[in-house]
Amino acid sequence: MSEIILGIGDYGASKTPGGRVKTFALGSCVAAILRDPRNGAVGMVHVALPDSSINEAKARQRPGYFADLGLPLLIQEMARLGSPDNGRGLVVKLVGGASIMDHNETFNIGKRNVLALKKHLWAYGLGPLAEDVGGNYSRTVSVFVDSGKVVVNCPGRGEWEV
Amino acid sequence: MTKVVDAEAIRQAIERLPLFSPNALQLLQVIADPDHELEDVIRIVKFDSVLTMRVLKVVNSPVYGLVNEVTSIDRALSYLGERMVVSIAVQDNAGQLLNKPLEGYLGEQGALWRHDLFSAIASREVARYARGDFDLDLAFTGGLLHDIGKSIFSDFWKEVAQDALSQIDEGMVADYLMAEQDLAGLDHTEVGYRMARHWQMPEALQRVILHHHHPAEAPDWVQPLVYAVHLGDIVSMMAGCDTGSDGLQYHLDTGYREFFNLSPNALAEIVLNAQEEFSRARESLTN
Ligand SMILES: [Fe+2]
Ligand SMILES: [Fe+2]
Repeated sequence: MSEIILGIGDYGASKTPGGRVKTFALGSCVAAILRDPRNGAVGMVHVALPDSSINEAKARQRPGYFADLGLPLLIQEMARLGSPDNGRGLVVKLVGGASIMDHNETFNIGKRNVLALKKHLWAYGLGPLAEDVGGNYSRTVSVFVDSGKVVVNCPGRGEWEV
Repeated sequence: MTKVVDAEAIRQAIERLPLFSPNALQLLQVIADPDHELEDVIRIVKFDSVLTMRVLKVVNSPVYGLVNEVTSIDRALSYLGERMVVSIAVQDNAGQLLNKPLEGYLGEQGALWRHDLFSAIASREVARYARGDFDLDLAFTGGLLHDIGKSIFSDFWKEVAQDALSQIDEGMVADYLMAEQDLAGLDHTEVGYRMARHWQMPEALQRVILHHHHPAEAPDWVQPLVYAVHLGDIVSMMAGCDTGSDGLQYHLDTGYREFFNLSPNALAEIVLNAQEEFSRARESLTN
């Protein structure tokens, strides 16, 4: 099976039959997952922070780390597999963005990540069809080319579909 | 229906733990002394041929990309910093414990070492934002040892752990630590504290281990340090570097504000820096 494993700040897409894109242990990070129903391509970006303006060097080195840069890069990556480069018609799902219990504003990075992604999706006229975000547990997530399914799991909590 | 694990068996398991080498213990004592200097650490390393070899191997690891081979301990230490020596010494003395799979937490092999190393780095990054003076390398060392209790506790915990998450979700207990206390009769911080006492670790480190989930309960003299590790631990879990089923199932104590000035941007910088140093440190320590 052709499998793309993403680390923090990575993005990738696939339309290879039998393939999938997967990322481990999102914590407060968020995976934005795209699917093009026309050609079956799927893609994902593993975003750690909402805004790249806090560190320009890192933004150049690892743009996928940030919601504002990571999403456009993923849409480009989908375009290389044949989707429109303005993102039109892509189906979006969001997973992750967990937090510690009793967090305050400073420690609410998960929520800020989700909001930032939504804002940038909106600029493309896109919005999440489904999301599994928040809570106090870290998610591992895969998206499968053949079925288009998005499957989440978490140690001790089992596995479910989004 | 409370099933309590056998406290006596845990006591015996701790009793049986091999001691830290005198050199490693001395290193921890020096680190815990706020007046120490790099020279003191250099002296300890020079006295220990195994540690010397390991330190030179780490500094010459390809991940640091140094053009000329480093052959002197003085240069190695000024490049790596005291914290990498501490990591090597802890890995040499407690590596087996830190690399065990954590069955009770459904944590795979190496998860505890990764979590502790990430927490160490993040605790040190947090400490940079202290309102007062702060010993950064001590924050690192505390982070590195804070969850050591899970290595022993996990084997006992696995017998009773099944209900922990549902208890938390149903609001029967406040967090994972309370679930441990409720279901097992004790928790990983107590077990770690007893391990640290068995090893005769400096008191500041014992306190970090015991209080890292409830820093307000630590004595005043060590509270800033305990809060640094409390936050480093949380940053590590937020970064997805947890030990398994207990990830993020703990509370933030916002009392940290008294000691640290953390804006959302500061926290983002902490996450970035910690992530970056973690991948380097992890690679250099593995090679
Ligand atoms: Fe802990
Ligand atoms: Fe921890």
